[in-house]
Amino acid sequence: MTARDTELSSRDPVREAPLLAAAWAVFRKDVRSELRTRYALNAVILFAASTVVALSLGMGPLTASRNADLPIIQAGLLWIAILFAAFTGLARAFVQEEEARNAAALRLAARPAAVFLGKLLFNLALLLLLVALTTVLFVIMLRVQVGNPMMLAAILLAGSLGLVAATTLIAAIIARASVKGALFAVLSFPLLAPLLVVAIQGSAAALLGRGWEYGVGPLQVLAGYTIALVVASLFLFNSVWEP
Amino acid sequence: MGAGLRLAQTAKLLLGVWMAGIVVAMFLVIPPYVGLGDAGRIIVMHVPTAWVTTVAFALSAFYSARYLWKRRAADDSGAVAAAEVGFLFCALATITGALFANIVWGTFWNWDPRETSILVLLLIYAAYFALRSALDDVERRRRLSAAYNLFAAVTMPFLLFVAPRLADSTLHPNCAFIQGSTCDGVWLETKGVRIGQLGDVVLALQGLEQRGDVAVAYVEVRTPGLQNVALLEPTFELASGKPADRPEFPGQQFLLAVEAVDLANGRALLNIEAPGTGLLSNSRTFWTFMAANLGFLGLFIWLYRLRADVLVLQERLARREVVHELPA
Repeated sequence: MTARDTELSSRDPVREAPLLAAAWAVFRKDVRSELRTRYALNAVILFAASTVVALSLGMGPLTASRNADLPIIQAGLLWIAILFAAFTGLARAFVQEEEARNAAALRLAARPAAVFLGKLLFNLALLLLLVALTTVLFVIMLRVQVGNPMMLAAILLAGSLGLVAATTLIAAIIARASVKGALFAVLSFPLLAPLLVVAIQGSAAALLGRGWEYGVGPLQVLAGYTIALVVASLFLFNSVWEP
Repeated sequence: MGAGLRLAQTAKLLLGVWMAGIVVAMFLVIPPYVGLGDAGRIIVMHVPTAWVTTVAFALSAFYSARYLWKRRAADDSGAVAAAEVGFLFCALATITGALFANIVWGTFWNWDPRETSILVLLLIYAAYFALRSALDDVERRRRLSAAYNLFAAVTMPFLLFVAPRLADSTLHPNCAFIQGSTCDGVWLETKGVRIGQLGDVVLALQGLEQRGDVAVAYVEVRTPGLQNVALLEPTFELASGKPADRPEFPGQQFLLAVEAVDLANGRALLNIEAPGTGLLSNSRTFWTFMAANLGFLGLFIWLYRLRADVLVLQERLARREVVHELPA
């Protein structure tokens, strides 16, 4: 038994596998297990749809003639809908590993950086799906006028990247705690405050139909935020992922 | 050991006397500031607590990093103690600030950059404590909360960078909150563009005339929350080129000043000024303020050391109890 162990570790396939290939394998495993249960997918999509429907039912279509601040209000509502839907689904990637007691196996099968990048990718895919769905529903049901659709798409994409960069490490942290759901939102929100401000303002400028000169600043901040948090996560993930 | 203890006792006593002196100086030494009256005295308490909060946050992040690096329980105790005492100071800074804002600016809360960043800081501390209480395993609690603390520290620069932009976009008179009122003001003309906006205040220049050696601007002022409209007459001293009379906005303690005039073309540069600008130019106020900074820093260090020692002691006691329960 011990001889076989040493033989295995001398080859050490975990260390030899290229990082990105390992991350891709983790991502594919997550997608496959998600498609089997569809837990996060159902929860997130239904949550997003109910938020938009509730907003639309409660307020009806808002018209610009009645309110000059309409774009910023709409951008704020859209991002709140996205944020809370993300809070319901994004912790799943790590919580499910702990609940199904897969975490130990995953620790053996891949190095921490690969696990983190795979989960990051999975969360990003889930969030992009959610953002696309929420935005389309939001624009249709609340009759939102989008002045600069390409810029809105760019801000939504950059905001999603930042959101995922901030929440993936926190998902790994709260997966080990006792009150997971509430804690995820509590820990994430203060870190997301700068992202939300910039994303809401950029989205409002896009809804208003402003040119790209108003979008470059927010996009730069969001890109910087994403890079800083991904780098910090890669540094910290090793100590979070320890058994 | 005995000498060290005596030194610590003396330092503690000195700190008490020092803080008492600051409280006395706050009411007796500092002159009341024009436009603020006695409310201005609160800066002796407010600014040092806010500054100690940032020191505490940095110290907590430092100890968290050292814990992840060296895995010593004492470092975790340091991070917790700094965060707890920092939370206390953060709450004090928020409360004193809100009181001051209500007296001077007419509102408890206004999302100005510093208010935003201190509120998020409070939330981060609260989240840190919530995380600690939700983790049962001691080693895991230390490791994960240290990671969260550092991760939160990474986002702080973005918040500090972003918060001023936030104030820019709200309709509040943000430039008035920034000390020294650095916003550029608006140029209004009697013959051309008469209406302009400073923060959420709409100004309309009704007239501009020379009265002796001062220029008088007649400005109609509307604030969104206010139904009635006020006519203010700020003046500008032509000889010295400085604003003279700065009337107060109705309901708020902002001042309206004329910063430049162009009488030939009927143009005037109007700006908002916050009371409190130049508060520290008085030397008695300045030295009391510096002494308060030092005093609060000392208070923080004392509280922090005390709390860290208690945490380490708790840990030792708990471990000894565990040892005693084990069968020999």
